Amino acid sequence: MVAHARELNPFECCGLLAGRNGAVVHHYRITNTVANDVRAAQVFDEAHVKGLRHLPETTRAEVAYFMDPKEMLAAFKDMRQRQLDLIVIYHSHTASPAYPSTTDIGLAYYPEAAYLIISLEQKSKPDIRAYWIRDRQVVPAEFHSI
Amino acid sequence: MIKVRIPTPLRPLTRGQGEVEAKGASVAEVIANLDSIHPGLKQRLYDETGELRRFVNIYVNEEDIRFLKGKETALKEGDEVSIVPAIAGGR
Ligand SMILES: [Zn+2]
Repeated sequence: MVAHARELNPFECCGLLAGRNGAVVHHYRITNTVANDVRAAQVFDEAHVKGLRHLPETTRAEVAYFMDPKEMLAAFKDMRQRQLDLIVIYHSHTASPAYPSTTDIGLAYYPEAAYLIISLEQKSKPDIRAYWIRDRQVVPAEFHSI
Repeated sequence: MIKVRIPTPLRPLTRGQGEVEAKGASVAEVIANLDSIHPGLKQRLYDETGELRRFVNIYVNEEDIRFLKGKETALKEGDEVSIVPAIAGGR
């Protein structure tokens, strides 16, 4: 995930982690199509979060992400075939802390998944934190690397 | 019958089921039929103007209905409809 975040910097990366009984066994990188899918700006407007329309398309991915809908569907299908559950939804913050923004909170439609944020604010020391975002309430989610 | 995949946030309306069956010759008809069996579903999927909410992606088999005919997309026996909320955010 950190490699993914660094590769796309200054743009935000995004992806999914799936597994069983809370243990991650599969990583899906998903393309951030916030700049080139007209649906993205509509979704952001509908949720009354960050407006994207005033931003040039070339910089939208520096401040926002929108998972490619087709890749997302393919990832969910793959999870069903492997009998895995969605465990984590991750994205990067390239210049802000690893805490959910109001945009992240307003667009959190998955109560079952932990939202993980990789902050590259300090380039040499990525900060990784995870949260449950349910009914607009943010609660830190515990995790450990093995 | 049409198989419909229900995302987690809507499962309280389908008694926890992630897959349900419904009747209908179009996506809109299937949603209406589902709403008669699981009241409240329609309200979660449509906005006040009667259009599908933007964050709701609906696919027929593997195709996004916004590249087909939207909620008027025709369905036939054996088709699978997937309802998948968008995943998005920012900083
Ligand atoms: Zn964010």
